[in-house]
Amino acid sequence: MLASLTLLTISFRSPTSGALHDVQGAGSSVLRPFQIAASRVAQPFRDAYDYFDGLAKAKSENARLRKEVQAWRSQALLNEEAARQEPALAKELHYRTGPTFPNGYRAVTARVISSSASPFARSIVITAGSNYGIEKDSPVVSGDDLVGIVTDVFPDTAVVRLLSDTQNRVAAVDLETNARGVVRPGSGGPLILDQVAKQFPVHAGDHIVTLGTIDRNYESLYPSGIPIGKVTFAHATDTSSFLQVELQPFANLSSLQAVSVLVATRKHHK
Amino acid sequence: MSAWDGAKIAVLLFVAAVAQVSIFSQIDVYGAAPDLLLVTLVGISLLRGSVAGAAGGFFAGLIVDTATLGALGLTSLVLTLAGFWIGRYGETTGRDRAHAPYLSIAVVTVIYEVGLLVVHFVLGESAPAGPVFASLLPAVILNVIVTGPVYALVRRMLRPQAPAELSAEVQLLG
Repeated sequence: MLASLTLLTISFRSPTSGALHDVQGAGSSVLRPFQIAASRVAQPFRDAYDYFDGLAKAKSENARLRKEVQAWRSQALLNEEAARQEPALAKELHYRTGPTFPNGYRAVTARVISSSASPFARSIVITAGSNYGIEKDSPVVSGDDLVGIVTDVFPDTAVVRLLSDTQNRVAAVDLETNARGVVRPGSGGPLILDQVAKQFPVHAGDHIVTLGTIDRNYESLYPSGIPIGKVTFAHATDTSSFLQVELQPFANLSSLQAVSVLVATRKHHK
Repeated sequence: MSAWDGAKIAVLLFVAAVAQVSIFSQIDVYGAAPDLLLVTLVGISLLRGSVAGAAGGFFAGLIVDTATLGALGLTSLVLTLAGFWIGRYGETTGRDRAHAPYLSIAVVTVIYEVGLLVVHFVLGESAPAGPVFASLLPAVILNVIVTGPVYALVRRMLRPQAPAELSAEVQLLG
């Protein structure tokens, strides 16, 4: 008990530096081969589950995806036209933009070796750290979708706090309505888009991406435009000051096997 | 408890801790995941008593905190208490009872989750009571399901001790 309390006290006094932090990092490196071996042993079972799960959902998913492809196809044509006009308009207006995903970043891809999925902390440990250029507060994605942010860095490992962690907050915007809010975890599985003013007509199916900022004092930790999730429920009540918006994250946060850490290739103003 | 027993306990807990952080913690059933480490610790505590339970809990917690790069000592503290408490139950009333592992894991799962909630709250960290209580029942059910095979394996590796080797039962005076 005493030993536990002593360790707890020391680790709380210096959570991201100090001798104990270094020892913990070294211990983590020692445990890493065992964790990778355990993941490899579990991989065939995980693959088999995913295969049968995919088969069971294939028919309904196919119908849904066909519908989505039709909608996206027409949207892509409109986007193409808008993208063609954008550089000329931006130049004419002297429009200044902040860091935008994926420009200005390189991705460091790393394997997930352990995860903490308790209600208190939703985090993962990855097999890349400061030796690969990763810094504290680097954004983390899976494919193109936001996963979380780096909270602690060791030479060969780093801790990533997931979007579903109760301490995470991400400034976000609805692509369809331009409604701005803050993404935070809900009490169940889905995420909540909070602080959205009631006048915005947010609907189920809207896409939510990171807002990003160019404010020198309060610069967002996330570059603008990283996909976060899709609205599944939006409702206004008389008693609440804001809209109640739930969204399903695009990234499957509960079964991540590899992620990419976005490392800035040039320093943005801080 | 012999040194050979100690080595076997260390290996069991090490494997369970690594499997827990690498595999089992990624399972999500209604917000809960089976806790292989807790179940293994309960088995060891029931078979080897409170001292082995407490020491094992500390060791296992240290591995979990190191592997997940969490606050060192936090999981150790709660697992030490859990191991000690189950060990005392095994030394006294729970000895030789078939339902003891299942009852122990059901009770200790609740105590462990609530204990973690209290420790997080006391330390001023995020302590969301809602999700903890919402996932309690699924966590208990999952752990009880896992208990059967895991306890059988632990019992196979750590043969129950002769009555003379165990601590004396608690006797009520008066």
